[in-house]
Amino acid sequence: MASGPLETYSPSQTLERRHQQQKRKSFNEIDWARSDGRNFHQCRPAYLRTGATSSASGSAYAEFGSTKVIVSVFGPRESKKAMMYSDVGRLNCNVSYTTFSTSTRGQGSDNKDFSSMLQKALEGAIILETFPKTTVDIFALVLESAGGDLPIIISCASLALADAGIMMYDLVSAVSLSCFGKNLVIDPTSEEEACQDGSLMIAYMPIRNEVTQFTLTGEWSTAKINEAMELCLDACSKLSNILRSCLKENVLDFTD
Amino acid sequence: MVGLSAGEKQFMHGGIAQDLRSDGRQRLQFRPISIQTGVIPQANGSARVTLGATVVIASIKAELGKPAPLRPDKGKVVIFIDCSPTAGTMFEGRGGEELSSELSVGLQRCLLGGKSGAEAGAGIDLSSLVLAEGKICWDLYIDGLVISSDGNLLDALAAAIKVCRFIFLVRFEISSPWQVALSNTGIPKVSVIVEASAEDQLEVNVSDEEFLQFDTSGVPVIVTLTKVGRHYIADATSEEESQMSSAVSVSVNRHGRVCGLTKRGGAGLDPSVMLDMISVAKHASENLIAVLDSEIAAAEAAEDDGS
Amino acid sequence: MASTDGDRPESKLAAEIEVEAYRRLFPLPYYDRHLVESVRPDGRALGQARETTIAVGPVSSANGSALVKLGDTTMLAAIKLEVMTPSTKSPDEGSLAVDFYMPPICSPSIRPGRPADTAPVIAKQLSDAISSSGMINLKELSLVSGKAAWMAYLDIYCLNADGSLFDAALLSATAAFSHLQIPLVSLNDSGRVITISEEQKGKSVSEPLNKEIRKLAIKNTPFSLTCILHDKHILADPTSEEESVMDTHVTVVLDSKGRLVSSYKAGGSVLLSRSMIKNCMEIAKQRMEELGEILKESLSAMEID
Repeated sequence: MASGPLETYSPSQTLERRHQQQKRKSFNEIDWARSDGRNFHQCRPAYLRTGATSSASGSAYAEFGSTKVIVSVFGPRESKKAMMYSDVGRLNCNVSYTTFSTSTRGQGSDNKDFSSMLQKALEGAIILETFPKTTVDIFALVLESAGGDLPIIISCASLALADAGIMMYDLVSAVSLSCFGKNLVIDPTSEEEACQDGSLMIAYMPIRNEVTQFTLTGEWSTAKINEAMELCLDACSKLSNILRSCLKENVLDFTD
Repeated sequence: MVGLSAGEKQFMHGGIAQDLRSDGRQRLQFRPISIQTGVIPQANGSARVTLGATVVIASIKAELGKPAPLRPDKGKVVIFIDCSPTAGTMFEGRGGEELSSELSVGLQRCLLGGKSGAEAGAGIDLSSLVLAEGKICWDLYIDGLVISSDGNLLDALAAAIKVCRFIFLVRFEISSPWQVALSNTGIPKVSVIVEASAEDQLEVNVSDEEFLQFDTSGVPVIVTLTKVGRHYIADATSEEESQMSSAVSVSVNRHGRVCGLTKRGGAGLDPSVMLDMISVAKHASENLIAVLDSEIAAAEAAEDDGS
Repeated sequence: MASTDGDRPESKLAAEIEVEAYRRLFPLPYYDRHLVESVRPDGRALGQARETTIAVGPVSSANGSALVKLGDTTMLAAIKLEVMTPSTKSPDEGSLAVDFYMPPICSPSIRPGRPADTAPVIAKQLSDAISSSGMINLKELSLVSGKAAWMAYLDIYCLNADGSLFDAALLSATAAFSHLQIPLVSLNDSGRVITISEEQKGKSVSEPLNKEIRKLAIKNTPFSLTCILHDKHILADPTSEEESVMDTHVTVVLDSKGRLVSSYKAGGSVLLSRSMIKNCMEIAKQRMEELGEILKESLSAMEID
């Protein structure tokens, strides 16, 4: 057994870096092929299931390419004693990573802001008035991280909320996009995310036509923001339909 | 939190609808800004920005460090914002921590272009901080302190960072431009003698005499538009912020390009309203940059007279 | 099945209230009445374990991984190999670090920031069971004597906690080790170990340290069974509800030859008699054979793929 902290390293790191530098060159060209054979405006295939964790009020599992996420929803249950009275419900979100989620062990945990981003993306969709004085806990665990983690967590969480029977105005679906020079690449993998010039993430309620969360990094012109938003909103609407059909299937299974 | 009576709320909403806010401003008008640079002598650069009743201090320190193994060609920038409990009771305990981290993340996104800072065209060019690839680089520690809070902290902090003049003197060529926040920062002259010694150690000479001023004009400003009722306003006070449904913070650089964007507040926004807000923020940023530029010029002139 | 029980006339109260309410209000009598009939609320016989499935290799970013479902209890184990300098005491041995996590998603009683009390206990038991059973020969993890060896990080995540966590965790660890593939590596000029990818295999300048991607020889796999003792009854493979109602737990770990590796009994109100120990061992032995079959099947299913 290991005694005390040992200096260890992942043997592949040096190679990976060289690999990444090569990749970077190819990204700058106008035309390049994505490693998984998708075209620039194509999302990864999504696999979604509700009811991954039986001990939770509601839960969902999402798999987009090799990004795998489980979200459990607990509650509504009594708020912590220290919390002040509130006539609307509270949300408590937490996102964590497994130690083996990334290629280098223990690197996934530096996304501390994901918890608050998740909360803000969902807050606007949940009818908080329906559970006053109580808290709904939304916990996410990223089993494997391979790009687009946050949007997948958000979509998966809204599915889990629906599974838990929490009242919502609409399902929130989220999609991210990377910008490489002139190209806009939707639903990037982590390899692509590491080399991107800019990124954009949208969480959207298609039926209400409302954006609940929007972040953007890198340098953008207005025209490009317009184009990117259109692409993302379209992808969000499609993803929302997939979420909906997943819920319907679940209900059909139940009645059978 | 600010407690407002129903009458006060109605007054505020009505005022905003008629383009005349409680303090006499128009919807997109900023409060008067004043700037003082070099407020912290031991930092490499520092500035105090007063925006109405909001007062913030930003300081930048530069230290020599080692680039991260996965990014040998990039320096590191650490942004930390502290909300002092003296600025308001809501900053005590966990509420302050949450706000601090929200502001830090917001600034990081707007100035560094994402967490990793890998993106090109971000506010601060990290590759200019490298002295010898994979061996030695500047680590910048940007600290912000909120002294008094009356809303719109993010914009004030970004402006303060922008006006810390940054002086950079190294023997290596530094090609990228910096802007005002970095306009009072002196980094000592450093020469690195790259020797393939057995221990792979670098010798670093630090000279205190020579400084090179670094142009910080590329650092973006942040304009936050707060949506109250059906309209949105710039530079909201904390009273107005208490009534917001959502807010969009847009960081814009001198060339009118959007460098980062964050949405705050839970309520959803129509995508077309969102785009509208971005273009309005872009327009407002031009004015803000002009004001900051003239303030810096004034501060510099005052400094020159003093010495 | 439970409803017929509730209709019995001998308890007035039981006849008056609904089964679900009776279950929540009087959990102990509820169980007692089941146990008298030698059946459990979920329809199992007393010594019967829940349905068990093993899927190997679900995590592509790890060197070896397995997902185990024991009823509703779900465990995900993954092994990552990293290179370390072996200690001077044992220069030709690798090392193994076992960790067990209960993230907040697995159970309503766990909140973020406050780790579960049981997690470190289970982690210790796991690492004891793995090392004392001699399942892994640490010499096999050596690369260059005194210079480099593999450090195997075994991380087990509980995705859904519904009782018998240790049994499921140990099974997932065993399955992950069976699936573990040691990658091809070679030494580079500066003495660091680097992996060789498939395309580089032929034209590699440096000699690979190992000839081919290989698996560990697993000599002796430990299997465990947790039982609950209640009066004279022995309930195998309890659910979390059963664990919370009845407080005496016995865990028996046997190796594939049926030898006792370890056993735990942490207090509880029921004291173990010698015959009861014997019975527990007997049930554990049956279960061990069952689990051995399931593991073999899942591994051969993977090889076909």
